Amino acid sequence: MITVKFYGLLRRRVKRSAVDVAGDGQTILALMRSAETAAGGTFLDELLDTDSGLLTGTIILINGENVRFKSGLETRVATGDRVDLFSPAGGG
Amino acid sequence: MMTGWMGKIVKIDLGSGKQETIAVSDTMRRRYLGGRGLGVKLYSDLCSSTTDPMAADNALIFMTGPLTGTVMTSGRYQVISRSPLTGTICDSSSGGHFGAALKGAGIDGLIVQGRAAKPVYLSVHDGGVEIRDASAFWGLNTQQTQKGIQAELPSKTSVACIGPAGENRILFAAIMNDKDRAAGRGGMGAIMGGKNLKAIAAGGSRPVEIADPSGYKDLAALIDRAVDKNPVTGKSLQVLGTSVLVNIINAHGMFPTENFRRGVFNDAEGTSGEKIAETLLLRQSACFKCPIGCGRTTRTRDKNGEGPEYETVWAFGAHLGISDLAAITEANYACNELGLDTITMGSTLGCAMELCETGAWKENLRWGEAGKLLGWVTDTAYRRGIGAELALGSKRLAVKHGRPELAMQVKGLEIPAYDPRGAQGMALSYATSNRGGCHMRAYMIAPEILGHPVFLDRFSTAGKAELVALFQDVSAVVDSAVLCRFLQFALGISTFTEMLRTVTGLDFSDEELMKIGRRIYTLERQFNNRAGFDRSDDTLPPRFLNEEFQTGSSRHRRVHLEEMLDDYYAVRGWDRSGVPLPQTLAELGL
Repeated sequence: MITVKFYGLLRRRVKRSAVDVAGDGQTILALMRSAETAAGGTFLDELLDTDSGLLTGTIILINGENVRFKSGLETRVATGDRVDLFSPAGGG
Repeated sequence: MMTGWMGKIVKIDLGSGKQETIAVSDTMRRRYLGGRGLGVKLYSDLCSSTTDPMAADNALIFMTGPLTGTVMTSGRYQVISRSPLTGTICDSSSGGHFGAALKGAGIDGLIVQGRAAKPVYLSVHDGGVEIRDASAFWGLNTQQTQKGIQAELPSKTSVACIGPAGENRILFAAIMNDKDRAAGRGGMGAIMGGKNLKAIAAGGSRPVEIADPSGYKDLAALIDRAVDKNPVTGKSLQVLGTSVLVNIINAHGMFPTENFRRGVFNDAEGTSGEKIAETLLLRQSACFKCPIGCGRTTRTRDKNGEGPEYETVWAFGAHLGISDLAAITEANYACNELGLDTITMGSTLGCAMELCETGAWKENLRWGEAGKLLGWVTDTAYRRGIGAELALGSKRLAVKHGRPELAMQVKGLEIPAYDPRGAQGMALSYATSNRGGCHMRAYMIAPEILGHPVFLDRFSTAGKAELVALFQDVSAVVDSAVLCRFLQFALGISTFTEMLRTVTGLDFSDEELMKIGRRIYTLERQFNNRAGFDRSDDTLPPRFLNEEFQTGSSRHRRVHLEEMLDDYYAVRGWDRSGVPLPQTLAELGL
């Protein structure tokens, strides 16, 4: 299984902090779609634009590494990975 | 007719009671805008880099800018002086309404010199400044003081004051206004205490004249839409406040834990913005005309108040190994009431805990002791018991106990809640900050972690020097305009340019604003150079240069400072020792 953790506005949206989903070898985009089903609520619109591109400020980490410096939404995941999802945020 | 600026800066001597209006030329306004920029210029002209910050003749300058009292978030003000904590030039910024109130009272700024024979406060109304007796308020906390002074003056008076920490001249005493907004960093509150100045109260209804009212109306509507549409300013900051960063920074393995010895705090979740919203949050709070409302009005079982925001959650939380959110929040309330900078207070406690753990300090401060937090904070404000040593701040405390390397500071100012090993640009920003270890001179976390305006490789040093200098210059402009820096998540430099054009009627360009920012940054640097700061001070504690985390997603990383520093000086037009070159000064008209 792969653990997908929700933070910030996403957590409020799906009303849970994490789901475990199967998805060995899938892209992160496909995995997130599986996570929507598993969580029982949509959240991808908080992370992606209408063309399924990453919104400015969306952070997707796989084992702590930002997918933007891997293969973006095409980055593959493996069983045992941990995925952290953050919608755009700021502070100081 | 002058628009934007009110055209009046008052200088007052608390010793003699003499006051005068300072002449500021149109040229000087255009070159330094207001706020931080004009304040630093006026300070440099009035005082020298050897002026003792606590001496009577030191100047403490309260400044607004041409945009103060106009568009959203423009209630801010800047306090400028030489910091008693660091010895550098310092400007400390605060939100709320006080800046707009100063302009409503008819002035752009107030320069305070001298020392009053007994406690006083200043009342600024209708363009006049009156010295009033504050004996009845001396000893009161910041909340009691504000209420007491407001009761003596016309309604809608805004008050900026010190608490017991400022009266006791604690080197990191804050100035508090509009209940819980803080000019926190650098000890500006200690200077007020040294002058026997308890507070400044301001109010009035003088309008800020706008050069192009029609254009201003359109622009204000455009800004409204941009801020509302932006997911950070229009949603995240509103719902979760700044502490939404706790989980983000922790997931990047750079959430400083137990005096920066680790980058992952196992209990981060319990102190996060999400947890605050679930457990303590009563409502959002907002500054002057601000639709964002990042402030948190909260309650614990026994008390209610303002905060904590991100830096404070960290300073009293992960940094001390404390995960008790109520204890963190109540320590924040205490700092608000006593008038203390939460970052330096928390960081100094973390330094103290490591000093005790190593045996360098024979005291008994231990990680995770949430129950003692409130006592330590209070004792610091009154210099009681170990509080007398904590009141030194981390640098002086660590030096005193023979372990200077355990103070996590730059130029004497404590580094906030982003471990620089996780973001090379942020590291350079800390090292080159004109007021010491500060995240607000160039907030490189935006591009390196949060993806604003784009994501940069946080571990790369390439191109970081140019970007740090650029961010420093833009920040100097926004601090001089004066607006809230959170607008930068939604607005680019050209919108700030347009705001200044519309309000002042002057034909500013983006290029001119960037040059103004560079001029201000270089002027501050010149002051620091004269005060004895050089390349050797543009550094970081050795922990960040030599030690690596073994776990977390910033593991096995160190800061590569020297290579960035050479690039940075070259970008800035400074020599290799960090002194601006003659041609740089000539180009900037310095």
